[in-house]
Amino acid sequence: MGFDALLDALLQVLGSAGSLYLLGGVVLGLLFGVIPGLGGTTALALLIPVTYSLEPIEAMYLAGGVMGATSFGGSITAILLNTPGTAPNAATTFDGYPLARQGRAGLAIGAAAAASSLGGLIGLITLILFIPIAKQIVLSFGPAEFFLLTILGLTAIAVSVRGKLLRGLIAGCVGLLFAFVGSDAISGDLRFTGGIDYLWDGIPLVPTLTGMFAISQMIELALKGGSVAGAATQASKKQMQISGVGEGVLSVFRHWDVLLRGSIIGTIIGAIPGLGGTVASFLAYSSTAQTDRDPESFGKGNIRGVIAPESANNAKDGGSLIPTVAFGIPGSAETALFLGILVLHGIDPGPAILLYNEREIYGLIVALTAAAIGASLIGLALSRWLVLITRIDAGIVVPVVIALSLTGVYVLDGRMADVLLTIIMGVLGYLMIRFDYPRLTLVIALVLGDTAERSFHQVQLISDGHALDFMMGRPVAVVLLGATVFTFFLPIMRKLRLRRGSRA
Amino acid sequence: MKTKYLGGVLAAATLLCGPAIAADKGYPLDDDITFIVPYSAGGGFDTIVRTLSPALEEAMGATVVPENLPGASGTRGGQAVYRADPDGYTIGIFNIPGLTVSEALGRDIGFNLGEITWIANIAEEKYAIAVKADSPIQSLKDLCDLGRPIKLSDTGKDSTSSITSVLAFDMIGCPISNITGYGGSNDTMIAVMRGEVDATLKPVSSLSKYTKSGDLRFIVTISDVTLVEGVPTTTELGYPELAKFGISRVVGAPPNMPAEIVEKLAAGFEATLKADSVREWAAGTSTTLRYMSPAETTAMMDELSQFYTGYKDLLAQ
Repeated sequence: MGFDALLDALLQVLGSAGSLYLLGGVVLGLLFGVIPGLGGTTALALLIPVTYSLEPIEAMYLAGGVMGATSFGGSITAILLNTPGTAPNAATTFDGYPLARQGRAGLAIGAAAAASSLGGLIGLITLILFIPIAKQIVLSFGPAEFFLLTILGLTAIAVSVRGKLLRGLIAGCVGLLFAFVGSDAISGDLRFTGGIDYLWDGIPLVPTLTGMFAISQMIELALKGGSVAGAATQASKKQMQISGVGEGVLSVFRHWDVLLRGSIIGTIIGAIPGLGGTVASFLAYSSTAQTDRDPESFGKGNIRGVIAPESANNAKDGGSLIPTVAFGIPGSAETALFLGILVLHGIDPGPAILLYNEREIYGLIVALTAAAIGASLIGLALSRWLVLITRIDAGIVVPVVIALSLTGVYVLDGRMADVLLTIIMGVLGYLMIRFDYPRLTLVIALVLGDTAERSFHQVQLISDGHALDFMMGRPVAVVLLGATVFTFFLPIMRKLRLRRGSRA
Repeated sequence: MKTKYLGGVLAAATLLCGPAIAADKGYPLDDDITFIVPYSAGGGFDTIVRTLSPALEEAMGATVVPENLPGASGTRGGQAVYRADPDGYTIGIFNIPGLTVSEALGRDIGFNLGEITWIANIAEEKYAIAVKADSPIQSLKDLCDLGRPIKLSDTGKDSTSSITSVLAFDMIGCPISNITGYGGSNDTMIAVMRGEVDATLKPVSSLSKYTKSGDLRFIVTISDVTLVEGVPTTTELGYPELAKFGISRVVGAPPNMPAEIVEKLAAGFEATLKADSVREWAAGTSTTLRYMSPAETTAMMDELSQFYTGYKDLLAQ
């Protein structure tokens, strides 16, 4: 039954005006992805009123095109400007930008394109295969599992920041402190709001991400002057030539293990409401770097460090639809908006969504698939010109990017306070660049802190205070507990192995 | 001196011209009507406003522009309505009784609900209690006889359903442990399916999606009339005072709005709720449309305020 609907949806996309909406979505998604501060959520939020006049299925093509294209768009900026176009591309800068500075931007973009397409594809295939047991999957992830997942994520912070462990932990702790601002999810008490009602709902993510990644980088660029390519002293000439794109695409097949790992992590994290692409790509990156035979080569331009996060942040779309097909609930901010579009069209998403709205769901899946591939193709075709961005003088790039990202933040909720927060976070982010503290660590802790605290409270209440006993009784929880312990001891085990090796 | 004189002339000119300009077209034709939604696009409040807007436009003969002002648990949107001019060009939808309860508890919501000009009640929703489909619990009595506090799932401690749970089970006389912090009302129902809590109290329309799919089972509706075939009401079980609980979607406007503008808006909403497109949508999403006039709405708001203020101490716990 599922495959009939899939085939139907595919034929419809190819045959009708559907492809036009899809293409429009892809171009829009690429554009919103490339511009720092504007992301898929902003694009979809802006599109909601536009979808009014469309048929639900056409709206799905448009939304799918946007969702599937933004994360590849964002990787281009991440690689070329060291500024992630969307937050989930933050981990891509670690190895993508060093590659660009070595004059191998083409290789990185090629790898990002292929990893995005294939990652997206793997995520969606996983989704389709898992549709029959989607309900069981969602039901096996409760507060206990959410809590352990966040702990696993926080552990990954500790082991990911090689060489600057202390700085990484400091940044992580600041992120956790930020996560506590706002009303307590359990008791409703207000904490650290300083009498400002803007902070009741906590420190919002989009302004924080935009400030931390986009504004801070622009301050850095403005103070340095010149252009990105000029700032990158070595090989600035070579950077202009996009070569090795084909090699980059092939490298993904050569490193299929990284692709697979990134896609699986992306799919799983995508299925957990509230975590999202930034966490998914960060975990994919840190787990790849951690288990690599040569972890020291990461952060210096290892292509595996581009493939892992890029496959994860596209695979997460497939994962985030698992709760949607099971119960009609969103797995991410984007799927929440997608369901919002359905509601606007008089469809009430619920556990029977696959029964009544099969057409729309499969339409979205097909659109996502086509978008993941289409965006990469368009992106690759344009990459030659996109690279010229790095040549533009900072005097032009900086004001344009700042204006666009601040506008994007404002448009999302229409709050001036969001813009102010973005600027504050931008200054903080710049100070972190200046004094060499990892920004992503702070952001990851901010995202995870909220879920960690809330789900721990819930487990305590559910288990009448016997949290550990409760967790040990749940198989998924035990696996996650094991993975956390393993991650924690990995560096020590490696050290021991090295010592044994040197002795021999 | 000169400026003062000029100011006087301008004021006089405005006084003279003001009514003249207004009389030119008259309310509501001079401007667009801004309909404030205190939550983000795509949510329940947003949906009802966007669904009603086209019909309201037709009824009023003016453009209606929904505007999302999310933040601070719905108070930011409410404040914006409160601060606007009472000229009929700014109205908003309010989270009731969420805001009523906040105010009853003495929290600062940034404005006084009692000063808002109430235009209409447009929809309402009743609550029910549901358990997992294969749960041994068959009735409210079974739930109370567990021999320990009943575990319920909810979003936030301040959410209307959470407050209703605390008050309703206190009236019934059963101890509960309300486990809050779930991401949305869907998550609270999935928590029941996972078996980590015994039951949940949620709007009938939300629960019915899961009872239809065979995941959950109703044990009682909190109402005085039968809402679901074969499911007892709290009134039938001997708790008539519980029928007061529910959610209302209420439209309000800035304080001191002239009566003729209130009337025009109220008539607009009355016509809107009769429109085919709105009725069709309501049937598809099991929304109960219920029009109340400005006077009825104001009376309801006062009554609710008194009702919840009476339980202040219990809620403050």
